[in-house]
Amino acid sequence: MAADWRSFKPVLIPDIPNLDDIDVYIKNGGYEALKKVLSDDWTTKSVIEEVKAANIRGRGGAGFNAGLKWSFMPEPDGGPRYLACNGDESEPGTFKDRMLFEYNPHLFIEGSLIAAYAMQCSTIYVYIRGEYIDWIKMMDSALNQAYEKGFIGENILGSGFSVNFYTHPGAGAYICGEETSMLESLEGKRGYPRVKPPFPAQKGLWGRPTTINNIETLANVPLVINNGADWFKNIGAENHPGPILYGISGHVNQPGVYELPSGVPVLDLIDEVAGGVKNGKKLKAVIPGGSSTPVLRADQLDGVSMDSNSLREAGSMLGTAGLVVIDEDTDMIDLLWRIAHFYHHESCGQCTPCRDGTGWLEKILLKIKNGEGEVKDLDLLLDLTTQMEGRTICALADAAAWPVRHTINRFRDEFEARCKKSVHAIA
Amino acid sequence: MKYEFTEDELKQIEVIKARYPEARPATLPVLWIAQNKFGHVEPDVQKLVARTLGLPEAHVHGVAEFYTQYYKKEQGKFVLDVCTCLSCQICGGYDILHYLEDKLGIKHGETTKDKMFTIQQVECLGACGYAPMMQITNGVYVNHLTREKVDKVIHGLKNGEMPEFEPMEMRKVKPQEN
Amino acid sequence: MPEVFIDGKSYEFEGQPKLLQFIMDEGLELPFFCYHPSMSIPANCRQCMVKVGQPVKDRDTGEYELDENGERVIRWFPKLQTACNFDVTDGLVVKTQESDELVERAQKDNLEFILINHPLDCPICDQAGECPLQIQTYKYGPEGSRFEVKKVHKPKRVQLGPRVILDAERCINCTRCTRFADEISKSYQLTITKRGDKNYPTTAPGETFDDPYSLNTVDLCPVGALTSADFRFRARVWEMNQTPSIDVSNGKGCNIDIWTRDNQVLRITPRHNPHVNDYWMPDVGREIYPLFNDNRISRPSVILDGENQIKSSWNNAIETFGEQMEAIKPEEILAIGSAHASVEENYLFAKFGNLLGISTPLFTPHIEPGSGDGFLITDDQAPNTNGVRLLGFEETDSKQLKTAVKSSNAKMILLLSDHLIDRGVLSADDLSGKYLVMFATNESETTKKADLLFPITCVVEHAASYVNVDGRIQRSFPAKETKYTNRRLDLEMTEGRLDRYGTKFDNWVTDENKVDCLPVWDLMALIGGRLGLDITYEGGSREVIKEVSQNMPAFSGVTYERMDDELGIELDTEHQTVKS
Ligand SMILES: Cc1cc2nc3c(=O)[nH]c(=O)nc-3n(C[C@H](O)[C@H](O)[C@H](O)COP(=O)(O)O)c2cc1C
Ligand code: SF4
Ligand code: SF4
Ligand code: FES
Ligand code: FES
Repeated sequence: MAADWRSFKPVLIPDIPNLDDIDVYIKNGGYEALKKVLSDDWTTKSVIEEVKAANIRGRGGAGFNAGLKWSFMPEPDGGPRYLACNGDESEPGTFKDRMLFEYNPHLFIEGSLIAAYAMQCSTIYVYIRGEYIDWIKMMDSALNQAYEKGFIGENILGSGFSVNFYTHPGAGAYICGEETSMLESLEGKRGYPRVKPPFPAQKGLWGRPTTINNIETLANVPLVINNGADWFKNIGAENHPGPILYGISGHVNQPGVYELPSGVPVLDLIDEVAGGVKNGKKLKAVIPGGSSTPVLRADQLDGVSMDSNSLREAGSMLGTAGLVVIDEDTDMIDLLWRIAHFYHHESCGQCTPCRDGTGWLEKILLKIKNGEGEVKDLDLLLDLTTQMEGRTICALADAAAWPVRHTINRFRDEFEARCKKSVHAIA
Repeated sequence: MKYEFTEDELKQIEVIKARYPEARPATLPVLWIAQNKFGHVEPDVQKLVARTLGLPEAHVHGVAEFYTQYYKKEQGKFVLDVCTCLSCQICGGYDILHYLEDKLGIKHGETTKDKMFTIQQVECLGACGYAPMMQITNGVYVNHLTREKVDKVIHGLKNGEMPEFEPMEMRKVKPQEN
Repeated sequence: MPEVFIDGKSYEFEGQPKLLQFIMDEGLELPFFCYHPSMSIPANCRQCMVKVGQPVKDRDTGEYELDENGERVIRWFPKLQTACNFDVTDGLVVKTQESDELVERAQKDNLEFILINHPLDCPICDQAGECPLQIQTYKYGPEGSRFEVKKVHKPKRVQLGPRVILDAERCINCTRCTRFADEISKSYQLTITKRGDKNYPTTAPGETFDDPYSLNTVDLCPVGALTSADFRFRARVWEMNQTPSIDVSNGKGCNIDIWTRDNQVLRITPRHNPHVNDYWMPDVGREIYPLFNDNRISRPSVILDGENQIKSSWNNAIETFGEQMEAIKPEEILAIGSAHASVEENYLFAKFGNLLGISTPLFTPHIEPGSGDGFLITDDQAPNTNGVRLLGFEETDSKQLKTAVKSSNAKMILLLSDHLIDRGVLSADDLSGKYLVMFATNESETTKKADLLFPITCVVEHAASYVNVDGRIQRSFPAKETKYTNRRLDLEMTEGRLDRYGTKFDNWVTDENKVDCLPVWDLMALIGGRLGLDITYEGGSREVIKEVSQNMPAFSGVTYERMDDELGIELDTEHQTVKS
């Protein structure tokens, strides 16, 4: 078992003033990992192997091993290849990638450059949600600094490796965080997720091999190169190792982003880290990793920690590690209706079960919220979630279905209490 | 034509186009340039963007309509995007929204008569830890809203003062006393 | 050969088919909406769900792993898959709605979702009767609806363009229309607007969908969201007859269907022919249908003295023709064939002249340079230019034709179905002093000048062949009765519900809709009879084309059967064309 989280020292965003300044970053060992991989000691293959061994699980929500993903890129054929960095950060409850843009942009840039080198990409795009205009500007100036220092551009540090790096703004669409929707948006289109196969590694941007990674995922890469895969694997939970930027919001005294190892017990995060439930109220529930992850009742949290195995056993997921803390006074019907509203509003509308299902879910929940629902509506809602799940082009429909299913199942009494007595005979 | 780009803007657009293997990917960034300049991307502005990039008008229109941040018609001078999503909802986002609506005498989706303010209810803006919050005209985030803070912000805006960017630092775990 | 197992039955396959297409090619069924074989595959309707699994192979031996019963071990995909974009691979096991309850359920679930925001318009919707949504719902849909909340409302009766009208509430967002404009016609005039369940197709504001191929989107639309401004509310499709034919509005020869009700052509739609027009046709080809109904020449006419044509009986007209012919020398007769008429008509026209010693007919192609688009609209305005060429007619330009007509040698002109004055080749003056005998279908400035005017059948009233710009010979079928034909007796004619059950006394049967005209082969038999020539074809045009194929090397081997089986026959125009 790894060391206690209490003794952990932040590594993604260490407590160093002005680290966003490239000179400060370099003074603190920045861009050493890039130099290392560009030296003769490393090959593209050995970088991928090291990252794979470290098991950096995607921080965008799906938790896929980054090095393994990189290894899916086909052999270079002389044509362009792309790395697309996912800074869309739009899943409710998630607000951590912006911390990297603001406080340690060069770590992310360096990680992306290493990834681009390992996969022999010719261009890197970082897609940042349009609302983050201030953070896009921060990234632009950090990229300029890195260009000036010769870390980006032609023949980087004399290695013969060249890559360009640009920001690309979104303009208000949660769905563009879905990786293939993001590619469409990067191509200047409506953000309609693509059908897979073909997967982006085969046909991504402009039909060329492309890999998509989350910002935080990429920021971990220099740490792995500098300290080794074993060091990384020893941080936090074994099944999901490494530092995590936990975004804690909702009813806690100290909401915000904390860097801690993975696998911190949920209750510790609430009580010790985030200063406990606000106003001395009792904890009612927790959404552990962004709005799509199933809500857990307070009584389901004993011994549950923030890693994928533990949360799966408890009946939820780690997602983006954006923890939403819910106190005893919260109306779960209101809460669920608002989540359903979000997914309805954000469905791209391309495929049937999601386009029409998300709206139907919201409308029934609104009816129940207004006291006009019946118990049979709850069962209809549950039916609809199975009709949506796994039947669509992308996972937004799943993300919309899960909270509905689990919130109703875990707070059934509360929902039933809000329903009218059914006028229909119960079969 | 009512709307045109200046030489400088056209140069800036060329720089953006050069980032991609074709012109179409510049659609979103150029719509942004247009909106920052004209305050909206109503149909004639969409046409300008299409013409400038050599793209079909229908394409630019479809894109403009897909993304919520583009104003498809003129808005108030200050657009107050109040988040009422998950974390903001449970931290009083609706209270702030309704307070603003009452204060300005309009509902969300509407613009004040003097064209000064538009209120919109928006989805999560990625500032959940600083809830409730709002964004002003696709720009600055104003966090930890209270009624008092809203009063101050509105007062300031009326005097042409945009709130300053509020850095939200990383939280540090307070050492526990055992 | 590799094989795939569908609902327990094995099928061999070649190449790399997609599952949905393969299932349809095998004559099996799967409900779907968004897939179209000639466009990209978005897999967005999610209707064509199937369960698929792959046999497990032993890593070392490469053999299929078998279970205790000796059956292949199948690894099923964890989720149902859409068949439209799924590659068929060797050993694949597929379960459709026929053999799997979950698949059946999933298809039903999906239809339930599609229907919740779909208006209950079937009674007044033009698509009813030929609506994939209606049909799939009937076959695979849920019995009732559990939707008790408010439907989404969207714009209705939007004039997208001059020819296409949108009802956005009926749209199921399959993107067939936008894909068509992006991938096929390449006008890029359409996009989906908004997001989520507010999505619908539209043009850019202020722009009009005037794509010259716009009406194909009406055919493509799997619901009644896109309707034809012209055809809207004109007829229920189940009351109409559908007859295969050829587009005569230009030289491409798009394969089409002629839709009639009560002997009126009400619309034209494209018919699939991968060698010619795939699934498409230009809007102009559809818009010519009034030519087949209106302004038709019915009964022969003669000018007795002076200017005025008067209607005449067939006997009188033929007798007049006979008298005129007897009074004139063959050298004084100029015969002009027509690229607007079929191979059979031109052939008989030439044969008739030949028997009388009249020299080979001339003809002037009807070509407007620059009007073609390299797709399905050609510079050639006539359907049979190559056919006339292959028959060995003497090709002239306008000037040469004018000279020939004006020559004092030409006292009588026999003109087949070419409105030479209307299209500016001749002026009315050029014909003064000439005795003009014309065989035509529609009234025009040119027919007005005819001293003797014989009404003949048009493309929708007879079976006849046309050779397109690429040298492909294709044929029409009779779709519309004349005074002398009867769908119940003519095996080539289709008989719709109204025809079958209607009688002369029903108010939906109008006898006036039958034109008093004859096919050229019947007319020639009568005229020949009067002039002592034997030109009879008991078997009609089918017998004519047989003779053409025997006498004209360019047409050797051509029969209706082959044209029907092979969707037309490519002729060797290179070596046979006299002049191009
Ligand atoms: C509806 C939807 C929204 C998503 N939004 C984001 C997002 O905002 N940011 C992100 O990094 N990943 C998001 N993802 C996950 C991405 O599709 C993708 O898995 C991820 O960016 C891959 O990077 P990673 O492997 O480094 O996590 C989203 C997925 C779905 C289905
Ligand atoms: S699941 Fe929803 S968001 Fe994803 S492609 Fe389908 S409609 Fe779009
Ligand atoms: S209008 Fe018809 S063709 Fe176009 S997207 Fe809608 S349903 Fe499909
Ligand atoms: S919920 Fe309001 S910013 Fe995330
Ligand atoms: S046909 Fe629409 S998903 Fe397959």
